[in-house]
Amino acid sequence: MLITTTNVVEGRPVQEYLGVINAQSIIGANIFKDIFAGLRDVFGGRSKTYERVLEQAKEDALRELAEKAQALGANGVLGVDLDFETIGSGGSMLMVIATGTAVRL
Amino acid sequence: MRNYFGTYTASRQSEPITASVLLFDRSLSIGYQDESGANHTARWEMNQLSASVVFSDGESLIRNIGTGEELRIAGKEAATLVKEMQEEMAKPWYRKKSAGYKGRLALFFGGLMLVLALLYFLFVPILSEKIAETVEPETERQLGDAVWEAMQPGITEDTGASRLVNEFFGALNVETEYRIRITVVNENVVNAFALPGGRIVVYTALLDKMQSYPELAALLSHEFTHVNNRHATKSIFRRLGSKVFISLLFGKMGSVTSVLVNHADDLKSLTYSRSLEKEADLDGLAILTNRKIDPQGFTDLFRHLKTAAPESTLPEFLASHPDIDKRIGYIKEMSKQAPVESHAELKAIFEQLKKQ
Repeated sequence: MLITTTNVVEGRPVQEYLGVINAQSIIGANIFKDIFAGLRDVFGGRSKTYERVLEQAKEDALRELAEKAQALGANGVLGVDLDFETIGSGGSMLMVIATGTAVRL
Repeated sequence: MRNYFGTYTASRQSEPITASVLLFDRSLSIGYQDESGANHTARWEMNQLSASVVFSDGESLIRNIGTGEELRIAGKEAATLVKEMQEEMAKPWYRKKSAGYKGRLALFFGGLMLVLALLYFLFVPILSEKIAETVEPETERQLGDAVWEAMQPGITEDTGASRLVNEFFGALNVETEYRIRITVVNENVVNAFALPGGRIVVYTALLDKMQSYPELAALLSHEFTHVNNRHATKSIFRRLGSKVFISLLFGKMGSVTSVLVNHADDLKSLTYSRSLEKEADLDGLAILTNRKIDPQGFTDLFRHLKTAAPESTLPEFLASHPDIDKRIGYIKEMSKQAPVESHAELKAIFEQLKKQ
């Protein structure tokens, strides 16, 4: 499986287009992560806890995208686009949406 | 997640076919097309696999022990990763389905709730009060004056009565670092209150109801205790402390949660308010009994407040003051056999006040 943000893969032409697929991951940091991030907001600097949460959300979205592609018989997802949004009251939940085109290379 | 291309062999008799491979934490997923072109995906759990590196080809060979299926992937990385994940899963903390897990989780949350409860009900209020005690009387006076200034439009002072009530309080000879200033306000309200820093406000309607000087002494000593014991300042800091703690815990809440949490906090602060009122009653009573002033003044004062207020159907936990009958009860209990003397000076000032 090849997952890429590019529209073409050098040396591997697309044999079949299998459709646009997307996957989303919504993740909430827990109370303690919120508290520590809130303190970081007061004092400044990087928030490692939220960075880890964001990384996890991105991994989950890409994983789901890859599984959907595989189920369609694809061995590649081209033009992958990742969108990051905050949702929920006060923006405490993070949403990552991964979109791409499933293909057979 | 790691993704590879590989060749998948269903059995010894089958031809190897090109497949896409997704390697997750505890499983791997194989996607392939059969001879008829139909799509298939196979999921292998990590604990079913045997992974090795074929040295002659430099490729990873992964076998499903249960079914005999095989997967070959170029390079050593896939086999290495599978082995690492299997080692990780063998570690004791990975076995989350063990019998005691839910129990341990429940214990952890119970402990956490206990800690948070201790912080909210004990540590935060005590810390807030300690901080309140560091506030200088001068700062309290400025705060009280600011509140008083804000109330000004609509306030008409009875200056003659104010002078006499201040004289009365002076005659009580109460030692304090605060400069007590009593203001009598013309209004048909049977009430009195104290502001931080020493200002006490008494409404004329309450003075009109009083029949004897012990009642005035009881009122002033009650309000004085609020000032001297810094009740208003402590209340402010406790409310502030609670709100900061709640906002740290809950962050920016939705409107429903916000209403629920704030009202719950309000109920807690009412409990504190009632305890402060009781403290003002009892410390005020001590001022009277130390000077051998008749403690009956307190019970008479409460009766005036009771007749002035409409009968409330609200339960006590929603009230800022203890129930009046309860107040009369504990005052009577604490003032049993208290010696009483006559105070000519206080009586004279009181009678002058009543003539006004």
